[in-house]
Amino acid sequence: MQDEALRLENVSLAYNDLTGNMFSQPRAVSFFKHREDDEQKELIRNVNLTVTRGETLCIGGGSGQGKSALLRIIAGLVRPTRGNIYYFGEYIPPERLTALEVAKRQVGLVFQNGALISNLKVRDNIALPLRYHKMGSPEEIDEKVKMAMDLMRVREEADMFPHQLSVGMQKRVAIARSWAMDPKLLLMDEPTAGLDNYNRRNLLPLIDNMRQLFKTTIIIVTHDLLMTKELNCNISFLHKKTLTEPHSFDYWLNSDSDISRALFRDFTNTGSSPTHFINPKL
Amino acid sequence: MKKKKNVRNWQRLTVFGKIFHKLGLFLLHRPSGQQVALFWNAIKSLFSSNRNFKTDTRNIIMQTFFTGVEIFPILFIVATLFGTVVIIEVISLMGKMGLSDVVGSLIVVVIVRELGPILTAFLIAGRSGSSLTTYIGSMVINSEVDALATMGVDPIRYLVMPGLFGGCIAMFFMNIIFSTSAIISGFLLTKGIIFLTGNIINIQLTWSYLSTEILNALTLTDFVFIVLKPLIFGAIITTNACYQALNIPRDVRQVPKATSRSVIKSFLYVVCADVVLSIFYFVDYINNLNTLI
Repeated sequence: MQDEALRLENVSLAYNDLTGNMFSQPRAVSFFKHREDDEQKELIRNVNLTVTRGETLCIGGGSGQGKSALLRIIAGLVRPTRGNIYYFGEYIPPERLTALEVAKRQVGLVFQNGALISNLKVRDNIALPLRYHKMGSPEEIDEKVKMAMDLMRVREEADMFPHQLSVGMQKRVAIARSWAMDPKLLLMDEPTAGLDNYNRRNLLPLIDNMRQLFKTTIIIVTHDLLMTKELNCNISFLHKKTLTEPHSFDYWLNSDSDISRALFRDFTNTGSSPTHFINPKL
Repeated sequence: MKKKKNVRNWQRLTVFGKIFHKLGLFLLHRPSGQQVALFWNAIKSLFSSNRNFKTDTRNIIMQTFFTGVEIFPILFIVATLFGTVVIIEVISLMGKMGLSDVVGSLIVVVIVRELGPILTAFLIAGRSGSSLTTYIGSMVINSEVDALATMGVDPIRYLVMPGLFGGCIAMFFMNIIFSTSAIISGFLLTKGIIFLTGNIINIQLTWSYLSTEILNALTLTDFVFIVLKPLIFGAIITTNACYQALNIPRDVRQVPKATSRSVIKSFLYVVCADVVLSIFYFVDYINNLNTLI
């Protein structure tokens, strides 16, 4: 109980609830809505997940299975239709489950497209939450911003606007922005999508550093299955609307389940392209 | 123990309390109720623990300049022409009908009380309200608002609050500028027209006559409403603009729709609020009538 970072209990999400953002619904209207029990209309059904502190977990699955929706639920942007969520052992009732409330518990989210504030320079983008929360004097904030920019190697681009940067660069700035907040739980939505191989190989050690040095709990939604092996972490899949048990990359590679057959087929064929990461004997 | 946890606070209320609770939820479910909630949240966020006097003041002043200063030329021209038309019409018409002693009160009613604030509100809704909607709406589409929320930065405080206060302050000053320039430059333009056409419209107009008539017609209620009306209209316009923007579904085509909805609904709400406020004038008028009789 003490060392758990996040626990989901029977979380379900209907398609209808996916659109609501935090302003479209006032805080306690859930009592007006009738419960959606139709399984056909549910995107995610009865997901259970426990992440311990300092753990890194990948969530995989085919596209359209609701990986990003699950991450949005955890970040508080989408309210689940049913189920309980515990952050660091603390239960938040559904009527108080908003992104602001979750963010108070030091949960950071890196969006798929970066979602940088487009009228602020990179430097101000990183400094914005620090200034807002008054995390230290202006000098300390400057120092922190420089550190974050160094960590993600975006120091040269400090005075550029987000639209002047490439997608990969924007993603790195977004990660730097989340890192500067000292999150205890960092959620990443497809951190390697859209990155070339060189940038991807640069990014993975950075994630690894974050985990080793700052003991951050990280949940990564990805379709990049090899990342799991390189980060040496467990992966669980959203399959048939529910989340499987987390297991290592090798376990999935050798198991004889539907998921393995569907998603790991490429890796087991020795002739295909990404096999240089894999021991051919497997 | 577990059963006790499931009992929410509203279930422990009395019957009357439950009805009140349900009514509150019903209202919060409506767009107008949500707009009121957004307005109070924006006011509340000014006093939140994240307040920073320097940046807040800077944001609000920037928003005021954005709302007020850039609209000034158009507002000035509209006010001048509108004032000219009102002065010429009122003086010539009332002169013909032999009611030249109500000229001042008619000008006050038309310019200062009713149409001045409303025209200013329309101009500001058309320009600043729509740009506020587009600005916040694009941020919603690019999930920048979500990003702000996940960083713990309250979007209501960061986006809505400066717009609301800047809008109200700008609306207040713009309304005063509108009324004064409608009367003063309207008078000058009327004089110019009389001079150019050789008084073809046949009206006698001097500044001392106009100013004394208007100053005599102004009452205390007028001064109260000169302050109150623009603040209410500004709050309505900016709250409505922000509300429409924050509720955009994730679809780029919805931004222009939300913008037009913001402007049109601002017009509607402003006129409705004006009617509601006019009731106070009626009450004032009836009281005066009693004293006269």
